[in-house]
Amino acid sequence: MIPSVAPAPLQRKNALARFSAHRLFASPAGLAGVIWLAAIVAASLTAPWWLPFKTEDQDFTAVLSGPTAAHWLGTDELGRDLLSRIFAAAAGTLGTSLITVIVGVGLGTVLAMLAAAAGERAEAVISRVTEIMMSLPGTVIILAVIGAVGTNIPLIMAILGVLISAGIYRVMLGQAKSLQSQLYVDAAKVDGVSTLGISLRHVLPGLTNTIVVQSALIFAVGMLIQAGLAFIGFGPPIPQPSWGGMIQGASQHVYDAPWLMVPTGAVLALTVLAANAIGNALGKAPNASASHLPSAAARRQRVKAVSALAVAATAADSDAAPANGHLSVRGLSVGVDGGPRLVTDVSFDVEQGTVLGLVGESGCGKTMTALSLLGLLPSGVAAAGGQILWNGKNLAAATDREMEAIRGREIALISQEPMRALDPMFTVGYQLTSAIRRLRKTGKADARKEALSLLEKVGIVDAERILKTYPHQISGGMAQRVAIALALSGRPRLLVADEPTTALDVTVQAEILSLLRSLVKDTGMSVVMVTHDLGVVADICDNVAVMYAGQVVESGRTANILDSPRHPYTLALLAADPHANSAADMPDRLATISGQVPQPKDWPAGCRFAARCQFAGSACATPVPLLASGSEDGLVRCVKADELAVEGLEWLATEVPTHRVLKIVEKDLA
Amino acid sequence: MALFITKRLLMALATVLVVAVLAFLLVHAMPGSPGAVSLGAGASQEAIDEVNRRLGWSDPLLVQFFGWLGGAVQGDLGVSLIDGRSVSADLASRLPVTASLAAGATVLSAVLGVLLGVTAAVRGGLADRIVGGICGLAVALPAFWIGIIFVYLFAVQSSVFPATGYVPFEVSPQDWAMSLALPVITLAVGGAAFIARQTRASMLEALQQEHIRTLRATATPTWKILYIHALRYASLPIVAGIALQFIGLFGGSVIAEQLFAMPGLGQAVQNSVSTHDAPSVQGVVVIATVVVVAVNLVLELATKFLDPKLRAS
Repeated sequence: MIPSVAPAPLQRKNALARFSAHRLFASPAGLAGVIWLAAIVAASLTAPWWLPFKTEDQDFTAVLSGPTAAHWLGTDELGRDLLSRIFAAAAGTLGTSLITVIVGVGLGTVLAMLAAAAGERAEAVISRVTEIMMSLPGTVIILAVIGAVGTNIPLIMAILGVLISAGIYRVMLGQAKSLQSQLYVDAAKVDGVSTLGISLRHVLPGLTNTIVVQSALIFAVGMLIQAGLAFIGFGPPIPQPSWGGMIQGASQHVYDAPWLMVPTGAVLALTVLAANAIGNALGKAPNASASHLPSAAARRQRVKAVSALAVAATAADSDAAPANGHLSVRGLSVGVDGGPRLVTDVSFDVEQGTVLGLVGESGCGKTMTALSLLGLLPSGVAAAGGQILWNGKNLAAATDREMEAIRGREIALISQEPMRALDPMFTVGYQLTSAIRRLRKTGKADARKEALSLLEKVGIVDAERILKTYPHQISGGMAQRVAIALALSGRPRLLVADEPTTALDVTVQAEILSLLRSLVKDTGMSVVMVTHDLGVVADICDNVAVMYAGQVVESGRTANILDSPRHPYTLALLAADPHANSAADMPDRLATISGQVPQPKDWPAGCRFAARCQFAGSACATPVPLLASGSEDGLVRCVKADELAVEGLEWLATEVPTHRVLKIVEKDLA
Repeated sequence: MALFITKRLLMALATVLVVAVLAFLLVHAMPGSPGAVSLGAGASQEAIDEVNRRLGWSDPLLVQFFGWLGGAVQGDLGVSLIDGRSVSADLASRLPVTASLAAGATVLSAVLGVLLGVTAAVRGGLADRIVGGICGLAVALPAFWIGIIFVYLFAVQSSVFPATGYVPFEVSPQDWAMSLALPVITLAVGGAAFIARQTRASMLEALQQEHIRTLRATATPTWKILYIHALRYASLPIVAGIALQFIGLFGGSVIAEQLFAMPGLGQAVQNSVSTHDAPSVQGVVVIATVVVVAVNLVLELATKFLDPKLRAS
């Protein structure tokens, strides 16, 4: 196993930094929203000083006029200046909508923090109450309230806020609960910080951004509802202008003066748009995970990229002769569209009936390499160069349509988390038989028979019952067997297994591995096994390619690599693996590899492992080629490989290199 | 599942009861006694007191409430203070108007919204941006403003639809549909935008699920991944969104009814609130709540049925 790397020092950000204002100004719509809102607030607050007319000034020479030099936005049926009335009404509209925001978002947040802090029972009660509030016809209730209290706009907007708080609570609860269950909150509790203290100091700051987002959205809702009420006659008392009332007035003249609708409607719509734009700009998820099915637009781009790749590939000479069930990856690179490369110049071969292990820490590009074999890279990531020769055909330059003929039938996939790999909405039987019918072109009855025999083949005893279950009704180990059966449904020649045992219990891991081993023996298919577990490699792999930071750093026969590793990274992985060290010579302390795998954008030009290597020297700063290691067909990417082999050096179990220890001590003293 | 349904039914009942109490208290807080409202300005104090005594206005609140509740359970919501007509009968004639309006708008919003949302999520690129822009605008424009513009375009400029009024279904199904067209479309603009956003987000989330990759790895055709598997996965939040939308549209019909002069519940609330007609206000609040809670319950059960995890338990 790879040692888990010490986390980077936790940076405590203050609430202000967490409220990411830069995101607001980075979005053009958000920026425009802020400018419009600021302008309209400034204009309405200063209205008494600059408005050309009083709100009640009537100009009977210009009744229902369009825009003129005197009346920039025209006049209404009494010759009153629209511009003046719109801005005279603005302050009241914005101010009272703010009441809804303060009451609604405030109450919703407090309820959410209360529910998160006070335990399950309180949460259940609050959730029930808010559910009831959300299933009420809000508009009708607000009208009944108006019946009781009259058109007291501030009070009505406050009551609207109470109704809306139920929705805010729903939005906030999940986040408040996750903040409340953070380890540092537990630590604070142990330290005796009061519940209130925890809520205010640890939970509230984390909610800041959501609060701002919701405030902006509720502000817009408040304005719309308020205008709607004024429109049906429950606005501020006449003759006081309001936006809804003005639109109501305009609606009476839609036959003779349709222009009247435009200015007030536009100002109201723009103000609502501005508030929504601010909310959306701040609320955008910063790192939404990528889609597993690219959109049509993305697929069109991909076709273009693929044809470029195909042209490049024909120029390069393909040295591998077409063979049956032979995979040959040559100089493959995978990159983010318009971003850094995640995998560079990766080459390996998989002969029919053999198992290749791709080994390395997380973030080394193993999974990306494996997924590129099926053309199933997440959207936004694509093969950027090199060749994936499957029986002589270059899959790196294949279109999605061509890949569809290969996926499942020739190359199949099993993934890390079997529970998430199966569709939760359909039964195991449906998923399995529809794959069999599609991939083997059989009828319904045959497919069902085949499904049963496949399930038995992967070691499921009560196959009949399993066919009827949904994925959530079976265990993880069982689900992985089903996933393997699904992968076998098209009788593939190559199986790509992305950490197939990582998410499983240790006993189940062994069963799944032995299943895979017997499948390889029985069917003669080959396997590309992605793993970070050297135990798995020793168990099942014929060949190994050790990957570090997007490169293959060492490859060769498993026995050779495990017995006499040549690359310092392989050496380090073995030294750090509790299973690789037999009980007799188990060291007192397992070695670790200090630091972390560098991010793709930080890869140096020279050896990418140099920064963490105990043997690094000045020679490591220049690019290192992959050279024959001397043992059979083994390859290694290290300038010091021969030197290390001669001297028989070992990766030492020092926890942190001395120079780093010194640095940390200095920091603590300062 | 049976337990779940029972629980939900009890909660729905509780909701209606809470609202009934609330409505009762609200109308008691209304200015003016029933006698004063009923007899209007200029009535003598004796006459007002006489009416109030007859209506039991000075009885203890609990007695009054249970008296009203007893009647309500048997379908008697009292009589209007303004015209003396039975509130139940009045609301019974108004309910179909609002129901067809809200149901029509919900169905139209759902169909349009799901189509637009799926298109945006699946096509991406320019189509996504166009749908996003339209939805942004649609939620920012108030329904009453859109309604007036529709009247201007389709009733004033070209008389495709009648501008106002309502024709009952029994009178003429065709005219009924024509009279509903503009109000339904007006309400559906915002509703469709809301559901389109919900659908787009849910579809994108569905496409991020790992089982989508498994489906691709077994050569499932793209259309099947999108419209059978991803849409199925996304259907839960979409149906929940439609339920919320129905609640909103049922309330939003107040504005559409005012705008298009339709004799529905919304108009009844507005009139009775303006005239302080307590029994009518109380009745309409409770009826609206019953309808909304019932529809919500049905849609909630539908969502649970869509989710295999909940269906099995």
